[in-house]
Formats: sequence, C-alpha cells, structure tokens
Amino acid sequence: MGNILFNVGYGHFLVLAAVLFLIGVAGVLIRRNALIILMSVELMLNAANMTLLTFSRMWGDLSGHTFALIVIAVAAAEASVGLAIVVAVFRGRRNVDVDRLTTLRH
Amino acid sequence: MMRFLIMITSAVLAWGAVDAFVQVAHAQPAGQQVPGNPRARVQPNVNVTKVHPHSDRVESKGKGMALLFWAFAAASIGGALFVITRRNLIAAVMGMVGSFLGIAAIYMMLYAHFLSVVQMLVYAGAIMVLFVFVVMILNRPEDEPVAPSGRAGQAIAGIAILYLVGRLIMLLWKTQPANPAAAAAAPPVTAEGHDWGSVKAVGTDLFNGGLFPFEAISILLLVAVVGAIAIARPLHEDQDNTGEPSTPTPAGGGK
Repeated sequence: MGNILFNVGYGHFLVLAAVLFLIGVAGVLIRRNALIILMSVELMLNAANMTLLTFSRMWGDLSGHTFALIVIAVAAAEASVGLAIVVAVFRGRRNVDVDRLTTLRH
Repeated sequence: MMRFLIMITSAVLAWGAVDAFVQVAHAQPAGQQVPGNPRARVQPNVNVTKVHPHSDRVESKGKGMALLFWAFAAASIGGALFVITRRNLIAAVMGMVGSFLGIAAIYMMLYAHFLSVVQMLVYAGAIMVLFVFVVMILNRPEDEPVAPSGRAGQAIAGIAILYLVGRLIMLLWKTQPANPAAAAAAPPVTAEGHDWGSVKAVGTDLFNGGLFPFEAISILLLVAVVGAIAIARPLHEDQDNTGEPSTPTPAGGGK
C-alpha cells in the first residue's frame, strides 16, 4: 500500500487519465445539457493527452508532445464550433436539452 | 583552533565555488548559439558536457513528488466530478478550470513543460472564457440535469461503466516501458542539446516530423473560425438577439 502511495510511477498517470476519461464518458451519458456534454468531451480529450504525454515519457519519444499539441488545437476548434452550434440551437428553440433536440431544422 | 576551522571551511567553500564556476564555464558554450548557424558551436560541446546549462535535471520522484501527484490528481478528478454533477453551469465551468489546472500540473510532472503552459493558456484561459460567455448568453437554469431513465437502464449503464473502468485500469496499470531504467531517470536532453519537453525540443520535433499536421491544423483553425461565425450569426434580421430592438416600446412611442 505504501509502495503504491509513495512510489508514483507511470501506471499512476495512466490510471488517472483513465479515470478522467471515464468521468467524461459518464458526463456525456448522463447529462442532458449540451454545454456540459461539450465540457465532458474536453475532459476526455485532456485525458487522452495525458496518456499521450505519459507514453511519450515512457518511450523517450517526443512525438507524443507534438501529437498532444495538435490535439489541443483540434479541441480548441471543436469547442468554438460546438459552442456556436449551441448558441444557434438556443436561439431557435430556447433550450439546449439534447433529449429534446430531435430534428435538424428550427 | 577556531581560526584553523574557519580557514578550512572557507578553503572548502572556495574550492566548491571555483569548481562550480569551472563547470558552468565549461557548460556555457553549449547553450550559446551563433545566430546564423545554431549548430555551429553547440555540436562540439554537446559531447563534452551532455547537459544543457539551463537544464534543471530534477528527477520527479520521491515522496514530495508523490504528495504533489496525489494533490493534483485529487484536484483534477474533483473538478471533473464537479463538472458532471453541478446544476449551476458557472460552477461546472469553474470545476472544469480547476480540473484543467490540475492536469497542467500533472503535465509538468511528466516533463512536458511547454505542453503544460499551453494547457493553461488554451484551456484554462481561452476555452474557459468561451464557455463562460456562452453560459452568460444562455442565462437559463437547467430544468432536469440528469437524463431520466428506468432503474434497470441505470443499473445496466452503471455496470457497463464499472466494467469499462476495471478493464481499462487493469490494462493501463500493467503497461511497462521498453527500457525501465531509462524511463525511471530524468529524461535526457535531445540530440540538439535541448531540455526534454522544452519549447525548443517540441518545436524541433513539430517542424521536423509534424509539419504536415501543423499546416493542416492551421487550415482547420481557419475553417473553424469561419464556421463558428457563420453558425452563430442569426439567420434572419428580424430574429431577436440581434442587439437592436425591432419594435419600439409602447411607453416611448405613445402620445
């Protein structure tokens, strides 16, 4: 037990990333607000980034850093477009409840 | 006797200082770069010193590192739980910021200094502001935060998620690096003599191996900017939320 507590290795980082990813999955599954779902997607992307950086450190290869940088850029683009869609949906129907979004038109 | 001790102590100190100075003076040219050709003076000295003068060479292990790891892991997981449980959207966004800052500190422990700073700037700065703006635009409390479903559906979903957790954690916990001794020590400097995870090291890798994804990302960001503006713009001029009042208030127009 003390070994697990005080001897932090790569498994700790990977398991932390897995837990964060699963919290994101749970958020996407159980919440109905589109904004919270977008935040959960961002959490999952961050967890994937942490896994990339851990593997990059384990294998001594800097490509993981490059890939994580690209993932961050894609996440920024995804957030901007996703939030624009949320604003457009809210303008049309006054709520962002994904269970009530059953059609693509206004 | 006292004077003798002082002499010996000062001699040892002076020797240590001179030794350190000599080491720094030897290591210094490795960091200096000729403006025209950056490798001109770096290359011969890398083989001698092997250590970049700005390198801290601090190994992130031990009990202090474990304490910090658990603190930041608790911050990131707590923030993530805050995101998916709060009804107040501003509280959820603030939990997300706390989670992202904890994740940035974890990146720092993985020697990803540059990525850590980028994480703080992009996520805890830009994306957080974007989310707060949209929350303020929506300005509407949530009716029912959690999707309603039957007791059986919730049980099946919970069991499925727990199974996923268990299998993922078991798989990741057993992952071993190819060279455990090298992976346990502080990371080496790169072939160019830069610190692991620094701006120079990541930039060298990015522009050597990832040049095409980099250019593709720039196009993607441009498309995202145009798309976000095109989507968020109101479709019709008479729609509300355009900023200008379409109908005058009766108090001002009446006579």
